[in-house]
Amino acid sequence: MNPDPVQPHALGRRELLQRTGMGLGALALGQLLGDSGWLASSAQAANPAQPLAPRAPHFAAKAKHVIHFFLNGGPSHVDTFDPKPALAEYAGRNIPTGNLATERPTGAAYPSPFKFKKYGQSGIEVSELFPHVAESIDEIAVIRSAYADLPNHEPSLMLMNCGEARLIRPSMGSWITYGLGTENQNLPAFVVMCPGGYPIQASQNWQAGFLPGIYQGTYIDSQHTDLEKLVENIRHNYASPAEQRRQLDLVAQLNRRHLDARQQDAQLEARIQSFELAFRMQSEAAEAFDVSREPQHVLDLYGPGTHARQTLVARRLIERGVRYVQLWHGAGQPWDNHDNIEANHRKLAGECDQAMGALLKDLKQRGLLDETLVLWGGEFGRTPTAELPAGNGRDHNHYGFTVWLAGGGVRGGYVHGATDEFGYRSVENRVHIHDLHATMLHLLGFDHERFTFRYAGRDFRLTDVHGKVVQAILAI
Amino acid sequence: MLAASVLAAAACLVAAASRVSGGEDGRQRNDIQADGPGEEFFERRIRPVLAEHCCACHGEKKQESGLRLDQPQAALEGGENGPVIAAGDPEASRLVQAIRYLDDTLQMPPDGRLSDEAIRDLEEWIRQGAPWPQGAGVRAETGTDAWRSHWAFQPIGDPEPPAVKDTAWPRTPIDQFILARLEAAGLAPSPAADRRTLLRRLTFGLTGLAPTPQEIDDFVNDPSDEALSRAIDRLLASPAYGQRWGRHWLDVARYADNKGYKFFGSDEFHGYTFRDWVIQAFNDDLPYDEFILQQLAADRLLAERGIADDTRSLAAMGYLTVGRRFLEDLHDIIDDRIDVVTRGILGLTVTCARCHDHKYDPIPTADYYSLYGVFAGSMEKTRTLYSAASQTEAEREHECQLAAREAELDQYFEKRHAELLAAFRSQVAQYLLEGHKAQSLPPTDRFMFVEEPDKLSQLVIGNWRAFLDRTERGHDPVFAAWHAFADLPPSDFAAKAPAIAEAIRANADPARPINARVASLFEGAAPASLEEVADRYGQLLAGVERQWKETLSEAAAAGGEPPARFEDDALEPLRRVLYGPLSPVDVPITDVEFLVGRPGQAQINELRKKIADFVASSSLRPPRAMILDEAPALCLHQPRVFQRGKPSNLGPQVPRQFLAVLSGEGRKPFSQGSGRLELARAIVDRRNPLTARVMVNRVWLAHFGSALVPTPSDFGLRSEPPSHPELLDWLATRFMEQGWSIKQLHRLIVLSSVYQQRSDDRTEASRIDPGNRLLWRMNRRRLDFESLRDALLAVAGQLDAGAGGPPVDIVNPPYSKRRTVYGYVDRTNLPGLFRTFDFAIPDTHSPQRYTTTVPQQALFLMNNPFVIEQARHLAARGEIAGEANPRRRIERLYAICFGRPPDPDEIELGLGYIHSGSERRADPELTPWERYCHALLLMNEFVMLD
Repeated sequence: MNPDPVQPHALGRRELLQRTGMGLGALALGQLLGDSGWLASSAQAANPAQPLAPRAPHFAAKAKHVIHFFLNGGPSHVDTFDPKPALAEYAGRNIPTGNLATERPTGAAYPSPFKFKKYGQSGIEVSELFPHVAESIDEIAVIRSAYADLPNHEPSLMLMNCGEARLIRPSMGSWITYGLGTENQNLPAFVVMCPGGYPIQASQNWQAGFLPGIYQGTYIDSQHTDLEKLVENIRHNYASPAEQRRQLDLVAQLNRRHLDARQQDAQLEARIQSFELAFRMQSEAAEAFDVSREPQHVLDLYGPGTHARQTLVARRLIERGVRYVQLWHGAGQPWDNHDNIEANHRKLAGECDQAMGALLKDLKQRGLLDETLVLWGGEFGRTPTAELPAGNGRDHNHYGFTVWLAGGGVRGGYVHGATDEFGYRSVENRVHIHDLHATMLHLLGFDHERFTFRYAGRDFRLTDVHGKVVQAILAI
Repeated sequence: MLAASVLAAAACLVAAASRVSGGEDGRQRNDIQADGPGEEFFERRIRPVLAEHCCACHGEKKQESGLRLDQPQAALEGGENGPVIAAGDPEASRLVQAIRYLDDTLQMPPDGRLSDEAIRDLEEWIRQGAPWPQGAGVRAETGTDAWRSHWAFQPIGDPEPPAVKDTAWPRTPIDQFILARLEAAGLAPSPAADRRTLLRRLTFGLTGLAPTPQEIDDFVNDPSDEALSRAIDRLLASPAYGQRWGRHWLDVARYADNKGYKFFGSDEFHGYTFRDWVIQAFNDDLPYDEFILQQLAADRLLAERGIADDTRSLAAMGYLTVGRRFLEDLHDIIDDRIDVVTRGILGLTVTCARCHDHKYDPIPTADYYSLYGVFAGSMEKTRTLYSAASQTEAEREHECQLAAREAELDQYFEKRHAELLAAFRSQVAQYLLEGHKAQSLPPTDRFMFVEEPDKLSQLVIGNWRAFLDRTERGHDPVFAAWHAFADLPPSDFAAKAPAIAEAIRANADPARPINARVASLFEGAAPASLEEVADRYGQLLAGVERQWKETLSEAAAAGGEPPARFEDDALEPLRRVLYGPLSPVDVPITDVEFLVGRPGQAQINELRKKIADFVASSSLRPPRAMILDEAPALCLHQPRVFQRGKPSNLGPQVPRQFLAVLSGEGRKPFSQGSGRLELARAIVDRRNPLTARVMVNRVWLAHFGSALVPTPSDFGLRSEPPSHPELLDWLATRFMEQGWSIKQLHRLIVLSSVYQQRSDDRTEASRIDPGNRLLWRMNRRRLDFESLRDALLAVAGQLDAGAGGPPVDIVNPPYSKRRTVYGYVDRTNLPGLFRTFDFAIPDTHSPQRYTTTVPQQALFLMNNPFVIEQARHLAARGEIAGEANPRRRIERLYAICFGRPPDPDEIELGLGYIHSGSERRADPELTPWERYCHALLLMNEFVMLD
């Protein structure tokens, strides 16, 4: 980013401000300036006065928003989207190919306790854990050959979110909001919801790293329903909206005099505008987070509970132009079922499957699925062998696991790649997390090799020096 | 891994006796076939493929992994991971493995698989013996000398201020430098700002606070030049100065008040003593060279200067220790320390060289690991800050007890380190086999926390793997035999081992001698399996270990100097396998924490907790500092390059020394302990072309909002050159001449005409120089986070100007009234308030702050109870509430908030707002005056500096 003082970049803005005079408040200035694409530019450099103004990517693309379901802890692929009948043959015995080294010792093959069934025209098999998601399987590209680098939560979370296991790098959401800005200046551009607290590694999962702090994810503890706990400083508790409007009109009048005495200064103009945006944000955010405004049949579609609410909020945010929404399953690492995986996975999937399925259908029905890229997955999968000594759970497995993509230009009803016979290691059409990132950036209109930020003397990328776009996943 | 040199070694060993492992009899297979029919094939089918697909990364310009494929000799030698071409044997050639794309970890070229035809050709070429016409390679000069002429590496000059046409404008030589460029560009400077604006600029600039109405009146009413000097002196003498400028340095130092996310390890953190030390150093105008010396090596200075009974300066070392903990990964912690030193003080991005030589700057990877060695030679500790002269008896007693507990922790580390090394030395046979197995696995970073004390250490297996890789490459008299056996397929082992054993015993090739003790291992029955070979090596080395210990204890009993080596030339190389600098069992003492497993970690945590509990339970609670302490001499670890940045991939040993580019011809390795103090001295050496320039540029940036070198932490080849190079040098020279005094530097700058210009835009000037690089006006700037919050408290009459102490929560009620520099900086989850207002993210060194404008900033000012509270206090101030006349009230509010009188229209607007309001409406929370006060705090004028 240009460290020089801000330069005026939209010549018409000052004129507009003058023409609209003092009564800025009622006018949807934000919409005129920010939402119309006026400020959109293909240049990568964001303007510090308008860091979140919409910007065009490298090339035209379908996907404009991202929703990332993060099943933190690591959902088991062999129990969800990657059926492995061979495990049943070896139940209780060692698999012939040997166990791979993971975080903890594992023993015999552990067949999935869940039944798989074919869904949709594509006939892709999905386990009984995700029947609602499965109904939309023809929209989904199931990547069964994902792999990461290490069998530990921390580095794998960082790799999945930031493309680098240890060093401080911006998260994917930060990169994308840096690259595209956002379409609604009245809402945060990058929203992270996690009910009940933080996942492991806390805010590093949505860090802006060396990008300006404004691109960091806005964390929301989605177990709350009270707006003030959801968005900081969103409510004025000291006066009616009309009274606050009157006060802001005074501020605007005085600011105009101040500006007039100083001639052109984009910095001052931007700050004047930011108060108008903030004023509108107060009502818009309240509205966006209030799911009770949804009709009953939509509420029924998503079902009861926290996950239904946060997923529905995600749709409302995307609908309003928010760029990137990340939905975590819960604080800590709920999907990390080292033992008792049958009961635990059933409970966890039960909490989120209906809402996930509902989201896909809802987006589709509203015509939003085409422009919304949905990513589903954990930081890794789980071993097909049982963890010792309990014998009824699974250890972390980064060698091969499943993530899926839907919407946003993704080829639906498609299975990409495969793990070995037992689901241990990705063996066919392998997709490293860097490849996943490269592909997602491609779907959003970015050449991942050219999408860079100069920092500490180097041009950094989300994919560092790695990543290949997985062409087969792209819809034709 | 079937590297070609293994075969070569084996082939040599058996001489012409028999064919082993398919080699071509008697001939070293790395020989180059230089003539014959292969030549045409090479020219037509191979060279174009290599040139098109390989040489961009493995050629003249770049040698990724040390490999180049544009010359026959280099191509056949291979890279840092050994040979890639086994002439005659495509299956044994890593090049073929890579281009086939079957192995996930080794796929070349990276951007896509070659055509099947090209792959077949390359296989065929290697099968033919990789014929490469002699002299066909072009050996060009490697590297480039562009850096030699790079401005930042030139000695700092002392240029004469240039002549200018407008001789009336310049007040100082700085102005001549600025004006000369303006005039050359056809620009004129802007007129001087009015006194009120100037004082506001100065006061915020030097102290981060607004001038009081009284200060403004005094200054406006005394237009003499002395008034300006007096004001500057007054501001520089104010404690608020250090609170402001200390914070600028804390950005550089990635300051925070906790470690950030961590999985284990102690929570103990004393960052604030560093913060207070920095603030005090600025207030005392500690010379910048001394300022740096203390931050890098205060511990060494105490010893050297004989002032060990005054430890207060140890707080300075927070510069190295307040960083993030990276899950306690020592390599990353050291990387962070190298970064904060090199980018922060030298303006060099040295950490780019962690995995490969710097792509642009003259910083080889070896230099990175030279610095790595300096920091790896120190251990982090906490120490009490005290001066013996003023210490009470109780404090002394406290310190004694604490020292005893700390010694317990140190002893634990030393004991476990010794035990671990002893265990590693006694398990050679097992580690040999595991290291051998690991050689055929793809390289992986080590997992975290998988070390279990009763199992073989993954770290040491990695060391052995690297050791075997290395000894396999050349000829190693101790391990050549091992490699020859290790190369046999298990199924053929029994059949082929006798021939190898025979060759080893014969030891007939003077060019490839076998260590006599090793040769004697293979007398009698040939080994039946590789395990047996490992056992024989294990027993041999166990015997060496016993013998060495006896030798040492005999020497001790005789009261003589302990011997440094065995006299016996066959024994000594064996001893070096266990004790030498490249020994695979040599792990740094700092790694003990990772090697002792969970029970050991629990023990360490308990010892740490004992210290923390003792500190917490004592009513004395003397301030403490987080320091680096020299590691015991015996534990001083000789740094080695980690190839590709991977600790498991050990490369050559490097000395601890300063960067080559800044050392001149006579670079010498550091000789005192870790070398940290020597490093610090090299950094502040006046001949170092960077240190003074970098700091002068930072100070300039803080005063003008734009720097002479636009990338303040990167003065490397890719940085934009300075807008005014002569000015930069002139300032740097003055800075050093004036005893590295930062306060003198401020005086130089703020007394200049360029600093005192108006900030208004001028259309014509803006057209010529839209970015104001030439400084034809002052930059208009917004208050940063700290100044804004302090200003809110100050106008409310609430600001607590107190100095120092542990950090306070400034985010939650009841709202602290301390200056923002004392607010708790939570690295784990930096509060939205900090991020929204562009605070320096404390994860890494921050070269400069961003300035963004977002509605979240407005929301905070509009709605946050802290701001409302200040608006109420402002309205309640005696001179406001006590003033009955509403016009005069508004006048006073303007004086407090903006340092100027309102014009009549502004008074009318204010009165109109207050009187037409809804006093009778159901808004009991705020009175109209309070709402009006709140409105003033939202105004651009409140946060903007002209």
